[in-house]
Amino acid sequence: MELQLQYFLLLAAFLFCIGIYGLITSRNAIRVLMSIELMLNAVNLNLMAFSNYLDPENIKGQVFTVFVITVAAAEAAVGLAIVLAIYRNRDTVDMEQFNLLKW
Amino acid sequence: MDLAHGVQLVSFGILAAIAIVAALGVVLLQNIVYSAFLLGGVFASMAGMYLLLNGDFVAAAQLIIYVGAVNVLILFGIMLVNKQQDFPAIKGMWIRKGATALVGAGLLVLLAGTIVTTPWAISTATPTGDGSTLKIGEHFFSDFLLPFELASVLLLIAMVGAIVLARREFVPEDTPTTEEELAFKLPERPRETAAIAGGSQTSPE
Amino acid sequence: MDVVTLASQLNAGTIIPEGIVTLTLLVVLVGDLIAGRKSASWLPYVAIVGLLGAIAALFVQWNGTSDTIAFLGAFNGDALSIVFRGIVVLSTIITVLVSISYVRQSGTSLSEFLSILLAATIGGMFLCGASELVTVFIALETLSIASYLMTGYTKGDVRSNEAALKYLLIGAASSAVFLYGASLLYGLAGGETQLDRIGIALSQIETPAIAPVVALVFVICGIAFKLSAAPFHQWTPDVYEGSPTPVVAFLSVGSKAAGFAFAVRMLVTAFGSLTEQWHFIFAALAVLSMILGNAVALAQTSMKRLLAYSSIAQAGFVLIGLIAGTESGYASVIFYLFAYLFMNLGGFACVILFSLRTGTDRISDYAGLYQKDPLLTLTLSICLLSLGGIPPFVGFFGKIYLFWAGWQAELYGLVLLGLITSVISIYYYIRVVKMMVVKEPHEMSETVKNYPEVSWNLPGMRPLQVGIVLALVATSLVGILANPPIDLAKASVQRSPILQASISPAKEVAVSRFAPVQSSEFRVQN
Repeated sequence: MELQLQYFLLLAAFLFCIGIYGLITSRNAIRVLMSIELMLNAVNLNLMAFSNYLDPENIKGQVFTVFVITVAAAEAAVGLAIVLAIYRNRDTVDMEQFNLLKW
Repeated sequence: MDLAHGVQLVSFGILAAIAIVAALGVVLLQNIVYSAFLLGGVFASMAGMYLLLNGDFVAAAQLIIYVGAVNVLILFGIMLVNKQQDFPAIKGMWIRKGATALVGAGLLVLLAGTIVTTPWAISTATPTGDGSTLKIGEHFFSDFLLPFELASVLLLIAMVGAIVLARREFVPEDTPTTEEELAFKLPERPRETAAIAGGSQTSPE
Repeated sequence: MDVVTLASQLNAGTIIPEGIVTLTLLVVLVGDLIAGRKSASWLPYVAIVGLLGAIAALFVQWNGTSDTIAFLGAFNGDALSIVFRGIVVLSTIITVLVSISYVRQSGTSLSEFLSILLAATIGGMFLCGASELVTVFIALETLSIASYLMTGYTKGDVRSNEAALKYLLIGAASSAVFLYGASLLYGLAGGETQLDRIGIALSQIETPAIAPVVALVFVICGIAFKLSAAPFHQWTPDVYEGSPTPVVAFLSVGSKAAGFAFAVRMLVTAFGSLTEQWHFIFAALAVLSMILGNAVALAQTSMKRLLAYSSIAQAGFVLIGLIAGTESGYASVIFYLFAYLFMNLGGFACVILFSLRTGTDRISDYAGLYQKDPLLTLTLSICLLSLGGIPPFVGFFGKIYLFWAGWQAELYGLVLLGLITSVISIYYYIRVVKMMVVKEPHEMSETVKNYPEVSWNLPGMRPLQVGIVLALVATSLVGILANPPIDLAKASVQRSPILQASISPAKEVAVSRFAPVQSSEFRVQN
């Protein structure tokens, strides 16, 4: 029995859904950022799997993954800077308390 | 990688189990520090997956950037926002969690169905394998040159912006100063007065 | 290989406008480092000169070569992208004009603000022409990350923090969802990332397949977030209310125009074989946006929130042109965005000026403003009436053109809904105008009673005045002289191969049959 493309894709889908669950239910702003990282990792796994099984000669998926990793790092830095700024002013990272702006 | 199929399958199983358990821990555990370390576990097991998928360069990049930089950054963030805080309970939170879990499960079923039913065009070409680093470099300087250069603008501005947002509250003074003063002092001042003036500019409503 | 041959092989000339903006960004950053805080007096003008240079370069390209594919297919500088890039750059120019005194007053440094704004412009411009998934993604993220940073730029203000956090979390999540869709596209196309090749690969999949539809829905999540179309609009009111007003001005026009260019290119090129499906999804988005945006706007008390819901509704109107899928449909999208550029930025310029002078943006505080500041009242009234679609301002012609194109494409339901919701929208726009103009002197609000003496000589006020007058002139005159921009929009559609390929022959006949009617109709109105 060999490793199939579908195994990787199913794992990626599972990670993606866990990320979405964390995104919606988390109350800590930093945990929301972590959930987004989970989703991006799911995407990366998808890209790597496609790259290996469907595009083994050109491996464009691997290049795409490197770009996603780059952007994810930039996004995490900016996200934490914003979390720090809001923590300085509000002294909390609870998403439920961020309600100065009414939804 | 030229591992036997059995070895590949077993390593996939182990890595997948680590990834799933750690990912569930990230979103379900109460203690945010545990979550951050488990996130590192997810990242590391993803790097293992990439090795199974013949992506040695990307696996290394994953370890260096995700585990080495992003995860450490998140841990630093947690420590800077260092507050043991019990969030006040909210009525109906479990309904929200349950509904979200249902939606997530539905999405998972949809995606799984899509993945299983789609006839993916599996290629039979020889994998690039160990030459992948070379190939990625070629891509960066040929057909992916534009995004590669644009990414440098992105990183530059993310750096500038993150520093602006996260540094302590200093602001250039409004009144112009002479050349001599500029030469001897940092062109930055504490911004208490400016914060009051600027804050009251729009906030009272 | 020397640089010149390499550049010509890559056809690097197509990104000269972006190159000029990038250079300006570096000049602004380094100039600030060298000259210190004195530089704040001349940096904005450097930025404006650079952006005007980019406009000039775009103009040269418009008359230039036919070879538009650059960087081995990563970028397509066709006529469509040139027009959209022009709209993005114009919106940045006006944003720079109106932001100088605001940033100075909020006690933050100007040069970093300008560099982040220029980076957002670069991202938006590349997004208008990106024709390959990785380039699309990087351009999108450059625009988004710069927008998050600008939203949180007044970091002393709690509401700005909160807006930035919400914007970042929702934006990053939607771009992750978009990416998941993009990864499925990569797999479905068997390892291709160029949009046209993905389109070919998707058209060869036998129906009914579920995977392309899933990819389409995920990609539309990313697009609709940028367009702030309902139900992906939740961030809009909060971000508009919380962030510095010049930033909102840019987000509501520049970022949205880039989003529309991205939507057209992505959907027409890659999802050409799924046209029915994406028309259906976009029709649903348009209906929701028009109803929700206009209905909720009725209840707003804050001017910025009112403009936020109005921008959601406007996105719904523009989607009608996109769904029409005909030549005049796309042309009407471009023309309406062009009109929207001036009227919306004019509106925001007035809101900025009012909040600078009084420190509030509550609608009731505008009562009786006519007595104290006629120019502000006149511009804000004209811009709002134009947004509401009242003749003879530019918004009226834009809306007529959109609805006409939708009607020709047999979208009767959507057009009728658009007309009805337009009438509703006129109500809340007029309410503000009435508040400013009709009130008797004794009904004047406290804020207006304490209104400071109108003085344009304070630092940073001249550019704001220029911005306001520019928007005023454009909003009132482009409506009367509507033909050149309409011709420009049409020419850009006709000269863009990707759109010509998608416009079906049957509809083409219908369009050409009605085209003379349309042009004579516009002559009559002029």
